[in-house]
Parts: sequence; structure tokens; C-alpha cells
Amino acid sequence: MNNITLHNTLPAVFAGRPDTGSEIWLRDVTFEKGKRYLISAESGTGKSSLCSYIYGYRNDYSGTFAFDGRNINQLSVDEWCRVRTHHIAYLAQDMRLFGELTAMENIMLKNSITGHKTRQEIVAMMEQLGIVEKIDSPVSKLSIGQQQRVAIVRTLCQPCDFILLDEPVSHLDNVNNAIVAQMVTDEAQRQGAGIISTSVGNNVKINEVKEFKL
Amino acid sequence: MSKTNNDNSSKSLMWKLLRKHISPSQLVGFSLASLIGLTIVILAVQFHQDVRPIFNDEESFIKKDYLIITRAVSTAGTLLGGSNEFTPDAIADIEAQPWCRKVGKFSSNDYSLFATLSVGGIGGRSMGTMLFFESIPTEFIDVADSDWKFDPAKPEVPVIMSRDYLSLYNFGFAASQGLPQISEGIVSKVPLQFTMRGNGYNETLKGRIVGFSNRLNTIVVPQDFMKWSNERYGSGIDRNPSRLIVEVNSPGDVKMQRYLDDHGYQVAGDKMQQGKAQYFLNLVVTIVIIIGIIISLLSFFVLMLSIYLLLQKNTKKLQDLLLLGYSPSQVAKTYINMVAAINVAVLILAVIIMLVARSCYMPMLKALGTSGGTIVIALVVAVIIMALITTGNIIAIKRKINSLWIQAS
Repeated sequence: MNNITLHNTLPAVFAGRPDTGSEIWLRDVTFEKGKRYLISAESGTGKSSLCSYIYGYRNDYSGTFAFDGRNINQLSVDEWCRVRTHHIAYLAQDMRLFGELTAMENIMLKNSITGHKTRQEIVAMMEQLGIVEKIDSPVSKLSIGQQQRVAIVRTLCQPCDFILLDEPVSHLDNVNNAIVAQMVTDEAQRQGAGIISTSVGNNVKINEVKEFKL
Repeated sequence: MSKTNNDNSSKSLMWKLLRKHISPSQLVGFSLASLIGLTIVILAVQFHQDVRPIFNDEESFIKKDYLIITRAVSTAGTLLGGSNEFTPDAIADIEAQPWCRKVGKFSSNDYSLFATLSVGGIGGRSMGTMLFFESIPTEFIDVADSDWKFDPAKPEVPVIMSRDYLSLYNFGFAASQGLPQISEGIVSKVPLQFTMRGNGYNETLKGRIVGFSNRLNTIVVPQDFMKWSNERYGSGIDRNPSRLIVEVNSPGDVKMQRYLDDHGYQVAGDKMQQGKAQYFLNLVVTIVIIIGIIISLLSFFVLMLSIYLLLQKNTKKLQDLLLLGYSPSQVAKTYINMVAAINVAVLILAVIIMLVARSCYMPMLKALGTSGGTIVIALVVAVIIMALITTGNIIAIKRKINSLWIQAS
């Protein structure tokens, strides 16, 4: 997958509202593989909606999203599974971790279907993010910040063309923000992947090539 | 990391995740209901298989039922010389009845007949008796024999005798008189001679017993012999038959019983009673099977409800798994495996219970002279029912999980 294009898209709930000057909604936008994008926005402007449309689990919008020119509405369930395991690595704002599983089990749940990282690599990443001692703790016992870091490691456990991050560092301090940014950009570089990150203020420091206001 | 390891680890993690909210009591409830329903159905099928041979002594694949009917002989009729014959109109009326498949007429000899039985060859002892013959169309004869024909150029008379006659001799007469019992094979080899008188002829033909019939309570000769002999020795008067053989749909039919009563017809033998007993057996087995199927259906819905509840409670987790890239079928597999395991266990248990129950009632049936029917049909029925239930479960699980693919905003 080399690019993701948006043509005249708008969440259904925004239909009929006056144009708010968004650089994403009702515009033609292209995200290219290998480049880094930051989408900054205020709450309620449709950040998470944008991510859910690109990731294919919501379709309450008008306009067209396309992968390499192909309307994503035409993708079959199998194709979407392939997108989710081989083309787009996604970190949801609410992380979507499984509270009753340990940090490692949560990560392995993803890694076991992609086979992308070895256990050592995963441990090393957790070490980098300072959560290695939580490796066998149930996620429900971790702080939100720790959970966010577990979710970031899990997101990076797959081959991809784009890394889609929905407020990845909203619960992290500056030090951890920098570590996450470094880890994500390193992984993106290794794979030649693009990064699309949203933020409501606490931006992940990915040295974006372009910033969109939502 | 190898693929198999990954698969196993994702499977065990999924099970760890999705088994939450599984209610053991609901599953036990389903399993019990399903077990009871399935056991009732297959036990009823098996019982029917085992009991059927008692009612059905014919070996034919499709059982046919025949009744032999006569007109009731009344005292007044005997004194006043009333006719016991069936007129062509009466026969046509019987043929027109919905329970009747076809009607065959008995015709009898219209001349004097004397049978001689020689034992010990020429010069040996011989016994003789006045006799009668009857004939019916060959399609009603239940003894298959290629000799069942008569050729005037090479005259030998094949005869079919009622098996009851031989039984009467063997178990009634011979047993009480200390005489040896005679097998069917021996009787067939006994040389018979039939002497026919009439129209100025007095001729003797050789005869041979070619078979024994359960259906025909008489002495039967081929129709072509009857025609030939009546033309040769008889008076030439065409008589109406006094007995009819009727092939019927079901010998226990109430409408038929009423028709026969209304017309003063009598049924020979206990075929009617046997038919009724079989009719009730079929009725009872059908009712039991229906009850079993209803219980099975209810258990199916209990399981469906239980699974829907489970999926409902786990909706968020299932959606999150789909977001990780698991396909709906991978996610569904966890539940499908669980349901399949339960259903296979129920199937095996039901078959075991059925076999145990069968071993309890079989000694009683053996006393009635049957070794029972095949268990293949009951097993096939069990597998088909379980396959249908499991398929229904799988379709419902897949549908439910597919419906989670697109999430509400």
C-alpha cells in the first residue's frame, strides 16, 4: 500500500454543519508511504472517527477513502484482515487492551498472527519503555500510562506500510514521549512506512513533514 | 518463532480471553436437554427397528399387506341357500376404495378331486383324501418358484400349501401322537397324485408341493392349470369368486374396518389384529420421536440463547480481536470448537445410553423370537440430528460474529 487518499470525506454526524475550515474534511488529501503526518485537532472534531474509517471498522461517512486508488468500501473481510496485519499498524485512542491478560499476552495476541517480532525484541522494546517489570502483570493492574506503552509495543508488532496512531502519548511524560517517538520512527524507517498521528496537544515528536488541522 | 507455536499461542490466548462469561450451568443444562432429546429419538428409532421383525415376517424390502376376505356365512344363508360369492359390482366397489391397492380373485375347482399320497414307492402304503384347489393371480403368491407353471403337454401339478397346515401337523398332531415331525424339504419330495373326474374324464396327474405360504390359507395351484382343468373336467359354468385377496395400504385402517363390517365381509387370519398392533406401534413410536425432536429443538434454542448471551457479553473483546486482524472465522472458531466438542460428547453419550437400554429390552424381544434389527439406522439418525444441530449452531455463531464487524459510532 503506497498511499491513502481521502476525497471529500465527512463524518455523517457533521453533515449539514457549516465549513469549519478543516484541512481534512471535505478536502482531497493524500497520505504517502514513508512520510510522517500529524493531525492536530480539538476534541470532538472527528479524530478517532477518521482513524476508524481508515481502519475499516466504521463506515458512517460520506465521500471516499481509497488505498492506492481503490475505494475501501470494496474491500472484503479477508482483505481487511490482511490490511490490519500487514499494511496498517493501528493504535486506538482507547488502546483496546484486554484487562485480564498480562502485558506480554496482550502483545503476543497480535504478534502470534503476524509473527513479526521475536520475544527478545518485544522484551527489549518493553525495557526501552520502562515496563519490562510489568511483563507478567494483568493489564488491568497497570496505570494508564503503562497501558499506553504496552499498546504501543503491540502496535509495532506487525509489518506495515502506515503506522496510524490516535493520540499515542496522551498519557505519557516528555521523556517517554521522546522514547515512543524514537521507537515509532525507527520502526517506520526500517519498514519504509508512513506515520499518521493525531493529537489534541501533546504531540508525539515524530518530525512530521506535514501537519493537518482537523 | 514457528507458525505452529504462534497458532497454538494465539488459540490458547483466545480461549483464555473468550471463555470468560461462559456459564457452566447453562452449558450443562443444554447438554442434558440435548442428551435426553437425542436419546429419546434414537432409542425410539432403535426400538422400532428391533420390534418390527415381529410384525413383519416377510423378508421383502417394501412390506406389502394382504387380506383375504370372504362374505360372512350366516345360518339363514346356509338354510336358504344364499350366495356367498362376490359379484363383479361388489369387487369393483372394493377396488374403488382408497385403502385398496389391488384385488385378486380366488377361483376353485369345478370338478371332483382326489389326492393320493404314496409312501415307500410302488407297492408301498398310500393315503388318499378328497381335496380342493384354489388359484389366484401369480402376483399375489409369496413363494418365488420357477416351477410355478403348468404345461398340459408335460402335466405335473405344482402346489403351494399353507404353512399353517404343516405347522398344524407338526405341532398339533405329530407332537401329541408321538409321530415324527416333517420338514418342508421332506414334504416337497413326497410324491402326490391327483385324480380328477368330470365330463367323462377320469385322469390322474402327478403333483408336487413347491412351497409353503404364510399368506394363503389354502391349497393353491397355478392359474393356467385351474383354467385348463376346469375347461377339461368342469361344468363350464363361470362362477363368481367366494374369496378375494386384497392388497391394502395399511391393514389397521379404521375406514377399511368399517367398510368390511358394513358389507358383512370377514377377514381370514389375524392379519387385521396384527395390522392394528403394528399401526399402534408406529403411532406410539412416531409420538415418542416427535417428543424427542421437540426436546432436541428446545435444547438447540437453549444453546443458541446461551451462546448469544455469551457473545453479547464478550462483544467488546470480539470486536477488539477483529481490530487486531483476527478474521471473524478465527474468532468464531473458539466458540465453534466448544459447541462441536459438547455436541460430539452428547452424541457419544446418547448412543451409549441407547445401546445400554437396548441391551435391557433385547432379552424380552428375544423371547418373542426376534434377534432385533440393525443399529445402523439409529446411528445414522443420531449423526444426522447432531450434524443439523451443530450446523445450526455454527451458522448462528458466524452470523453473530460477522455482525460485529462494523462497529457503531
